[in-house]
Amino acid sequence: MSAEKYRLTSIRASYGRNLGIAVDELALTAGGLYVLIGPNGSGKSTLLSVMAFLKKPEQGTICFDGAQVNWTARECFLLRQHVTLLHQNPYLFSGSVSGNVAFGMVARGARRDTAREVIRESLAKVGLEGFESRAARKLSSGESRRVALARALACEPEVLLLDEPFAHADRASAKLLETVILALAAGGATTLVISSHDERLGSRLGATIIYLDEGKLDKIQDSRVM
Amino acid sequence: MADFFVQSFRMAMALIFARDKEVLSAVAISLNVAMWSVALGSVLGVPIGMLVALGNFPGKGAVRLVLNSLMAMPTVVIGLLVYAFISRQGPLGSLGLLFTPVAIIIGQSILATPVIGNYVLSTIQGVDELILPTAQTLGASNLRSVWQLAREVRFGLVAAIVAGFGRVISEVGVAMMVGGNIRMYTRTMTTAIALETSKGEFAFGLALGLILICVSLAVNLFLTIAQESRRV
Repeated sequence: MSAEKYRLTSIRASYGRNLGIAVDELALTAGGLYVLIGPNGSGKSTLLSVMAFLKKPEQGTICFDGAQVNWTARECFLLRQHVTLLHQNPYLFSGSVSGNVAFGMVARGARRDTAREVIRESLAKVGLEGFESRAARKLSSGESRRVALARALACEPEVLLLDEPFAHADRASAKLLETVILALAAGGATTLVISSHDERLGSRLGATIIYLDEGKLDKIQDSRVM
Repeated sequence: MADFFVQSFRMAMALIFARDKEVLSAVAISLNVAMWSVALGSVLGVPIGMLVALGNFPGKGAVRLVLNSLMAMPTVVIGLLVYAFISRQGPLGSLGLLFTPVAIIIGQSILATPVIGNYVLSTIQGVDELILPTAQTLGASNLRSVWQLAREVRFGLVAAIVAGFGRVISEVGVAMMVGGNIRMYTRTMTTAIALETSKGEFAFGLALGLILICVSLAVNLFLTIAQESRRV
């Protein structure tokens, strides 16, 4: 039995135009692969923002690695060293691709020269070898998404949250993304939560499926025993 | 009539090319106080604009209203307020600042701050709202994330500072009221134009007017070139 990574209790949160979420109980295991399924507006992004410690819920408690989160600015900053969220429409900073991929590593204290190898590896994982010096803001949208994924991978987070990564992906990108996700899941060191409105994704990845409907937890199923 | 303009224009050119001492002095004083005012206005205005754009605090709407109203504040009113503070009887009277370049800098900083603050505010409100959370989720501290945001909007910040420069280099009210238009000391281009024209020295006024236009053109040209060549 693996350790518990997250435990959410009686969480209520809203996010701008997005619908609020009301999750009574949700526990995620360390190293687990989870797919969050729900229609648009079901609160997937809000839940991911809460889990990424970017959004403080209005009510409820979260335990991360068994310790309750108090949501002070300092604590959120420290927790974010372990968790990275890839937004649905990721933002790339102006400057080069390598500057973007290095951002998280440098922010987390890596030295620039040791970062170079990780940048190369991360870009290779997303099929963008040799893109280091390209201008990030001049890439196609597909390439931008891959760079953003490489940037998140380079952080080597304990928890990687992916918000609708397959939403705009063409077939080749989707295949590559699946390969990356499965490789991470097989490694066992990363807890993965992927939101999607594609119900088949969970079983394709052999993930635990969390159904979300109008902000509420509908059911949780292990796709491998379905 | 046309003759008058042509003749004045010729005299203005002659004054500029002869590097007339009084013309040069007015240009130098104008640029000097404008640069200090813009520097101070930026130190205050950029953080204010960022704070109002990013912060969530009670009275945020009121701060915006004040910023907007201050933008439209007549320069003579600002001059009047500063005058009240630094004149002999005022609370800061003992510092002896009235009719010095420092007095102009104080007043013009008050002019520049809301302009810069408002530009920064609307710049930040217009950018992708994912910049901050992206930096944060990648592990940057809040301060580092705001710094990254500032880097992303740097051209907007420069535009804000240039707008502040435009506000102070072109104003007369503050410089006249608290500077006192003292020859070779607090006489700026604008106060010199006002004075010389009222004295009937149209050519002198025109010469300064042309220089003033050239200065603002040069500043804007510099900004445009910088933006075009470095935008990635």
